[in-house]
Amino acid sequence: MLKMENIAKVYRTDVVETHALKEFSLEVNEGDFVAVTGPSGSGKTTFLNIAGLLETYSAGRYFLDGNDVSGISDAARSRVRNEKIGFIFQGFNLIPDLSLFDNVDVPLRYRGFSSKERKQRIEQSLDTVGLSNRMRHLPAQLSGGQQQRVAIARALAGSPRFLLADEPTGNLDSKMANSVMTLLQEINQQGTTIVMVTHDPGLAAQAKRNIHVRDGQVSELHEVNTEHTRDVVNG
Amino acid sequence: MMSYYLRLAFISMRRNPVLSSLMVLAIALGIGACMTTITVNYLMSNNPIKHKSDVLFHVQLDNWGPFEAAVDPNDPPYQLTWTDATNLQQAQQGIRQAAMAKSGGVVEPADPNIKPFQAGYRLTYSDFFSMFDVPFLYGSAWDKQADENARHLVVLTKEINETLFGGKNSVGQSVTLSGEVFTIVGVIAEWHPIPKFYDLNNDDFGRPSELFIPLQLKRTMKLPSWGNVNCWKSPDEEGFEGFLNSECVNFQFWVELDNPAERSDYALFLDNYVNSQKELGRFPRPLNNRLNNVQQWLEYNEVVADDAQIMMWLSLMFLAVCLLNTIGLMLSKFMGKSSEIGLRRAVGATKGDLFIQHTVETACIGVAGGLLGLGFSFFGLQGLRALYGEFAHKLTSLDMNMAILAVVIALVSTILAGLYPTWRACSIAPASQLKSQ
Ligand SMILES: Nc1ncnc2c1ncn2[C@@H]1O[C@H](COP(=O)(O)OP(=O)(O)O)[C@@H](O)[C@H]1O
Ligand SMILES: [Mg+2]
Repeated sequence: MLKMENIAKVYRTDVVETHALKEFSLEVNEGDFVAVTGPSGSGKTTFLNIAGLLETYSAGRYFLDGNDVSGISDAARSRVRNEKIGFIFQGFNLIPDLSLFDNVDVPLRYRGFSSKERKQRIEQSLDTVGLSNRMRHLPAQLSGGQQQRVAIARALAGSPRFLLADEPTGNLDSKMANSVMTLLQEINQQGTTIVMVTHDPGLAAQAKRNIHVRDGQVSELHEVNTEHTRDVVNG
Repeated sequence: MMSYYLRLAFISMRRNPVLSSLMVLAIALGIGACMTTITVNYLMSNNPIKHKSDVLFHVQLDNWGPFEAAVDPNDPPYQLTWTDATNLQQAQQGIRQAAMAKSGGVVEPADPNIKPFQAGYRLTYSDFFSMFDVPFLYGSAWDKQADENARHLVVLTKEINETLFGGKNSVGQSVTLSGEVFTIVGVIAEWHPIPKFYDLNNDDFGRPSELFIPLQLKRTMKLPSWGNVNCWKSPDEEGFEGFLNSECVNFQFWVELDNPAERSDYALFLDNYVNSQKELGRFPRPLNNRLNNVQQWLEYNEVVADDAQIMMWLSLMFLAVCLLNTIGLMLSKFMGKSSEIGLRRAVGATKGDLFIQHTVETACIGVAGGLLGLGFSFFGLQGLRALYGEFAHKLTSLDMNMAILAVVIALVSTILAGLYPTWRACSIAPASQLKSQ
């Protein structure tokens, strides 16, 4: 599904050169649920942005669905993002003056669906996250947990094969975080591949697989079992 | 998708009403100033008698002195002498012709309740009305007999008939002009050729607040010469007759010639006429007659005033300043939306999608600015009217062409002004805004 070989990412500013990723290699299989942990600044977001084609990389190779996406055009990248990938951000990133319905509609508008199909998909995905009765509300009228559910609905509406979540529970209390996590697990069970960055070892433990990033490299790869302590040892 | 973009534009304008209003206002001010001056220029360069422009000719003869041309470098004077104007009239070599001049005096209404007032007279021949298609409200022009016998007949403008008779049919009534009693034979309907092509010597855009009377009354009533009088030498004799027989010009002459053959015949006639006058010791300069049709005559006179043109360029520059201002406001507005733009990019919008979205938004602002600017130019023209008086009436009205032009200029210039902010908005990197959260 996703295969990275020796990806490197360098951020250059006038003052410093930051090697956010170096020799980053990873393979994620179809149907997987991967939790990415690691210290702040280790390169987790950078990895996720590259995986989601939001950013380019300085070296290495990246295959998505078996296709090398290194050299494709900006418009083609937009298309891949639109059709194959769903994003969930820590800050929800809802558009404040659009209703929930219109927020979920955003990716669908660029997809060329008929208005009937869009309506059906929006209603269905808001239903999945339990907000179908608030479609006409504005994001500000909802709690943080509900806003993140809208963001999830937006990510799901286009039926992506691949869901990328960057600390989706980072701004939520633990109760809300757990319910979002449960929702993601359900989505994964229906076949969507998920990569989720998180700070919370408890949540990471609920994923099928954990990876740990340190200094821009994958420092540890393992299937989750009952021993949660390992993360702490290497953290 | 278009309706989606329009809805987004509307939402975006509503989100920041102050900024949006400022942009609309800036464009409207620029458009208002431009449209005011463009309208004035447009009307000034109007040909008021297009349908007969090619068959009506203004006559110039070079009766000037031997050593200096009337108009540099070697052009004849704009007007004719009494002698030449009346001779050409008498010759009747065109289909229609009318010598004319401006005069004036005191009008004493028959009704003692209405105060006497001063007014301009247009001294002319009956052909004036048919030649220039002057519309009549009541009655008609005087006849050829009246031309020859200098009868005391008058044609009123609608406005003067309004003043004297409250707008009622006044044909057959009388009015005293410069102390002599005249009978009213006709009242013309609204007729305000702009510019006043038949006499461009002064007040090109003035309202003809004139009464029309036969030209031969000039001599019998010794009517004063209004307008411009120019002479290259002083009259040989004293007194009024001396002026009429002098080389002083104060008369215009228009002739209707229906085709090129008639025109060349008439040109030949003019040459012969001038040559015969040379035998009488007049016309010391070489033959230099002119026959200009209406369009040529307007162009020759450069009717569009220089200062009106300068004002137009200044107002276009003002529009440019307003647009620069708009660019700044738009830039700050679009940058304020960068997290939305980043999000749209992340979920699949291409740069092209965002370009269209923001161009639609600028277009909406442009149209709004154009419409408001139209309102401003309406007030601007009202202001000009207040400044220059009621006679500027026709010069200061917006027509449909101008209204469409206003909106098109606003639209095009706003979209152009929006290109840079839009380009900046489209080049926001999809990830940049999402990471910082
Ligand atoms: N746009 C950028 N410009 C410069 N440096 C950046 C940029 N984005 C991230 N970095 C740097 O790259 C490193 C990795 O950042 P990031 O991937 O955001 O870490 P994490 O998500 O694990 O906290 C950090 O040192 C960060 O300062
Ligand atoms: Mg991060």
